[in-house]
Amino acid sequence: MNKSDNHAFVNQLLVYTLVMICLSGSIGLGTVWMRHQISVTANSTRQMESRIAQAERSLAETTIQVAAEESLEVLTRRNSEWKLGLLPPVESQVGRLAGSPERRLAALRNREAFTDRTGAETAPVVFASGSRVRR
Amino acid sequence: MARGFGSNYRIVLLVATVLAAFGGIGARLVHLHVIDRERLVTFVDKVRRQIVVEPARRGDILDGRGKFLATSRSLISLGVDPQVLRPEDEPKWPELARLIGLPLRELETIFRTKTRPVAPVATSTTGGLVIDLDGDEPSENTPTERKIQWAKLADSVEESVYEQIVRLDIKGVYAPPRVYTRAYPNNELAAHVVGYVNKEGVAVQGVERWADFYLRGQDGWRESEKDGKRQELAQFRAREVAPSRGYDVMLSIDSVIQHRVEAELSRIMTTFSPTKATIIVSDARTGFILGLANAPTFNLNAYGTVSGDDMNRMRNVAVADVLEPGSTFKIVAASGALQEGLVQPSDTFDCTLERIEYKGRSRDLPREDHHFHHPLTVTEIISRSSNKGAAQLGMLLQEKRLYEYAKAFGFGEYTGFSSIYPESPGIFAHYSKWSGSDITRIPMGHTVAATPLQIHFAMGVIASGGELLRPQIVKEIRNEQGEALYRFGKVVRRRVISQATAKTVAGMLSRVTVAGEGTAAEAAIPGYEIAAKTGTSQKIVDGKYSSQHHIASFVGFFPASRPEVVISVIVDDGRSPAGGTGYGGVVAAPGFKRIAEHLIQYLDIKPTGPVPGRPLFALEGVRP
Repeated sequence: MNKSDNHAFVNQLLVYTLVMICLSGSIGLGTVWMRHQISVTANSTRQMESRIAQAERSLAETTIQVAAEESLEVLTRRNSEWKLGLLPPVESQVGRLAGSPERRLAALRNREAFTDRTGAETAPVVFASGSRVRR
Repeated sequence: MARGFGSNYRIVLLVATVLAAFGGIGARLVHLHVIDRERLVTFVDKVRRQIVVEPARRGDILDGRGKFLATSRSLISLGVDPQVLRPEDEPKWPELARLIGLPLRELETIFRTKTRPVAPVATSTTGGLVIDLDGDEPSENTPTERKIQWAKLADSVEESVYEQIVRLDIKGVYAPPRVYTRAYPNNELAAHVVGYVNKEGVAVQGVERWADFYLRGQDGWRESEKDGKRQELAQFRAREVAPSRGYDVMLSIDSVIQHRVEAELSRIMTTFSPTKATIIVSDARTGFILGLANAPTFNLNAYGTVSGDDMNRMRNVAVADVLEPGSTFKIVAASGALQEGLVQPSDTFDCTLERIEYKGRSRDLPREDHHFHHPLTVTEIISRSSNKGAAQLGMLLQEKRLYEYAKAFGFGEYTGFSSIYPESPGIFAHYSKWSGSDITRIPMGHTVAATPLQIHFAMGVIASGGELLRPQIVKEIRNEQGEALYRFGKVVRRRVISQATAKTVAGMLSRVTVAGEGTAAEAAIPGYEIAAKTGTSQKIVDGKYSSQHHIASFVGFFPASRPEVVISVIVDDGRSPAGGTGYGGVVAAPGFKRIAEHLIQYLDIKPTGPVPGRPLFALEGVRP
């Protein structure tokens, strides 16, 4: 083997080594970049999960506040504080329908639909008190 | 080939250096990854690996209409690391103190205290060996003060408040991971039924305890790594199991009815000052409890404030305490005698007798609270609550059958409610152990002890048409989406009497509230047949029946001809404001009536007869 062949071989080895170093470096940097991206994505997922959990917690707290405000104890207190004077009905105030309310309303609606009278011509609603009927 | 950029010597040197460097790196890698691998992996695992437990959210307890009786919320335990506080944040301290409700001076003390004294080391008594509780080697250089890195500021900060604290941006003020705690939006409502979960997360009583298996859910966990600041490195999450939320439990309790029941109890406590009182409302057809309350009671959100000597207020007396049922027990003797065909409702008995012959021996008949001038029919024995009449019905049945009927009505045995709350089976001795006078005393409810729930469901036998139902309080188990996973239904424990007999007894009981006929005309509601029985039993004080202390009860159902609800009002040692005896008709019946009137509207119970004074006005809905 002569001297120039030796040089050529060493030069080639050097070039290949440098190429290999560059390639390895690139792969390494690529891997690091990829890992960084994985980390960024994972962190953003974690933050999103944390925001969802936070929203769920706030929702739960709001639900409890609403439930507490809807509790009968609070509603009763509000009734007296705001002087609303709301009372449960008693039986004597209730007019019970003997038949089905749907049929009754349908019959009423049909009567109105097939009559020629206009609203202005209709008579006032009948109020019955005991045996007397007042208009 | 062209000559290279350097001499042979330089090239060889360069190549050798590069190769040596790679070789060195390789050798180091081999050392780290192969030779020293075990030690390093263990170290890394110890330092970086972590398993984070994610607590499951406990399911909710709902009432029969889906309103929250118990739910979960996350509360934050706020703390501070005084080492990292910045002087520029100091103007924000008053606002922080206001938000967490801590006096500013106290907050400043916490913030400015940077160290705490090291706990004194324990020494053995024998050899004077010093044991460092922290695991450090004892030495003369051991510091006497230690840096505080976490001092608690507030125990239960709400999320909305915490958001405001975060916005203040005070460095060093932070919260560890949240945990779920239990919240009861209705405070005292149905406290004895719902029960509570203590600060350690242990379900202590009530439905919370019974349904803990369904409610608690399953904690999740994830395996990951953390950095030097103990922050999770999300990219290294290895395995992850999501937490599964607990199931919701829907009760048969109706908040509106329960509230009404508790309001009535509160009124009874104020008016009659009893030692305790219980009201139970249930569905006559299914046995589902719509309302159950005891007084005194407690606030579920402040169970910890109940003092040690006041713990009785946490007791569900409706199922745990026993009392003599008194005259409410008369339905047993009457039903048994009718069922056996021994009597008819119109048969009469002399209720003025002082003694009566039974099985060849003369027996004392019990005293009456009222004097009757004429023989009473079986219906009148019930409506006028005759003790002598009940004793004679009992004697017709004789010991064995009376015992069997009482057992069949549920006396002396568990109702089946014990899974929700430890209940008492009551006291009812076998007939072979009865004394000579017991056959005259047991039919009027003496020498028997029963829980209010037993008395209630004994009356429920008449209301349900002769069947003894099991008390039920849990209606459904639901998942997060509200889908029913399991539905509980009516459970018939046994048939006690025939439907016809039950109907006859219901008719007799409906005379109790008729003016001039029964003992509780106060409980009558126009348009509705109220079937009920008063009870007034003397309490045993110092081993003797006391004439001063009574247990008053009013147990019944309505409408008598098609029962919809059963109501029991039991008042222990109530005092009539007028100063008289606290009879069931005086102390308990008015409460029964008020609850019944409310239920008529709320449950739309239609009248069985004409309602006087109605309609006040009626919209006819027609146009002439």
